[in-house]
Amino acid sequence: MKKLVFLFMVGALNIGHAAELPQTEVRVDTHEARASIPTSLTREKAIRQIPAISPGEYFVPPDVGDIPTSKYGDMVKLGRNIFIDTQHYAKRYVGNGLNCSNCHLQEGRKAYAAPLWAAYPMYPEFRNKTRDVVTFEARVQDCFRFSMNGIAPTLDSPEIKAITSYAHWLSTGAPFNKELPGRGFARLGKPRDPTPINGEKLYKESCASCHSLDGQGQKFTNRDGYMFPPLWGKDSFNHGAGMSSVKSCAQFSKANMPLGKGWTLTDMEAWDVCTYIWLQDRPWDPRFGWFFNIFAPPTGGN
Amino acid sequence: MVTLTGCGKSSAVDQSAISAGQLLAEKGRGAVPGCVACHGAHGEGIEAAGYPRLAGLNSGYIEKQLKDLARELPPAGVVIESVARDYSKTPRLYSDLTVFSPGLRHDDIMSPIAKHLSETDIHNLAAYFASLSYTAKPVAADFQVLERGQDLALRGKPEYGLPACVSCHAPDGEGFGADFPPLAGQPVMYTVNQINKWQLGQRDNDNLGLMKAVSDQLTDADKLNVAAYYANRSLVVKGQ
Repeated sequence: MKKLVFLFMVGALNIGHAAELPQTEVRVDTHEARASIPTSLTREKAIRQIPAISPGEYFVPPDVGDIPTSKYGDMVKLGRNIFIDTQHYAKRYVGNGLNCSNCHLQEGRKAYAAPLWAAYPMYPEFRNKTRDVVTFEARVQDCFRFSMNGIAPTLDSPEIKAITSYAHWLSTGAPFNKELPGRGFARLGKPRDPTPINGEKLYKESCASCHSLDGQGQKFTNRDGYMFPPLWGKDSFNHGAGMSSVKSCAQFSKANMPLGKGWTLTDMEAWDVCTYIWLQDRPWDPRFGWFFNIFAPPTGGN
Repeated sequence: MVTLTGCGKSSAVDQSAISAGQLLAEKGRGAVPGCVACHGAHGEGIEAAGYPRLAGLNSGYIEKQLKDLARELPPAGVVIESVARDYSKTPRLYSDLTVFSPGLRHDDIMSPIAKHLSETDIHNLAAYFASLSYTAKPVAADFQVLERGQDLALRGKPEYGLPACVSCHAPDGEGFGADFPPLAGQPVMYTVNQINKWQLGQRDNDNLGLMKAVSDQLTDADKLNVAAYYANRSLVVKGQ
């Protein structure tokens, strides 16, 4: 029996040796030259799972061409204009260089970039920030005050009315007062405490080519405004904004940055890079008085 | 050296680069045919043949593309691990390891030509074509095609995480900086071909692999719609 097995093994080895090439070599004629080398297979990215989105996973808001022709439709259109070009349509309430759609990506439609269709049906809502129940309109006011570093439009102003109409129209068909998938930002784990040292390296590697090395974004050469929004400095959101918190920034970056390559940062990379961004200088929190802001600026200002 | 140190002379140097580039573009030299043969007398491209326009493009972009076209593809026979190693188990060894593509772009017509160009030639040609002004001639297309192309250009596909074209290629598709080339005023066939090349792996020279990630999500209809939309845009570019 032993002899039989031995003979069989020798035979198998011989056949195998004759039929196959050594595993380390690749026959040239079976291998096509490709320009794309696997740049995505770096660091831990090799073992990373980028989720595939299946149809129907996220709510799909109505088409822009389907905005009704009515007074309501006009308000929706104005709201959309304000939303994507805040610098022009709500100029007097804005104190920096940003537009609403810089964070609420793709006209407020992108899942996990605080989409309007997931937010609007949830209001009025309790907010931890103000320890109070706020309406949608009051929430939009806060966006102007903190994220746009400007002045809140009054509740009866056409700007608030228009943005509310736009959010109302985007939510057409969305379930009322029900948490939808894609609401707000992505959920993150936190394997260790974040470090800005790693964050700086990451920032220079993958963020600086658009937002520039000094974080001031890039301005158009042929028109006013920013092509790529500033992340810190005087034209960016202030210290009271949601995006100024490391957590929100990391959650946003995880799902959306670099643009078009969402979910390619690890959770820890998102935390690290946002810690680096948080350490930079930006406008003060308007909730504190001017005295406090000037003489006791928020930690991390440089 | 002169361009770096001579502050007053920089415009004169640019002028000489532009005129040298113009000479090369119009007459060609040895194995290098004149650019005007395919890219048009004023760098406007040929819509029907799908030859891209070069007039008014960013000089840095043109330089990079010519260098990438001249670069050899990696040799056949490179083995890529199909089973990913768990690098997180050995963080010290691999935490700083990042592989960047040197920038590779292959084209049956352009690659052999680009290999005959010197560094100075490339600089001169880029300076010349960047200095040219350009006015787009909008190409008519089907209404529904334009409508769908516009939807993709302005909003992308948010439900699939595909960003809008305008978020990098500027609001009118006029391009931005050396990394984001213009889409407006380019032939439909050229735009579609380039996206095909990314999908097939014949082009890999984009910033952070952004366009590779975007191309992988585009369907055949998407490519045609969005290319037709941008060929339909009017555009006026002033030379630098």
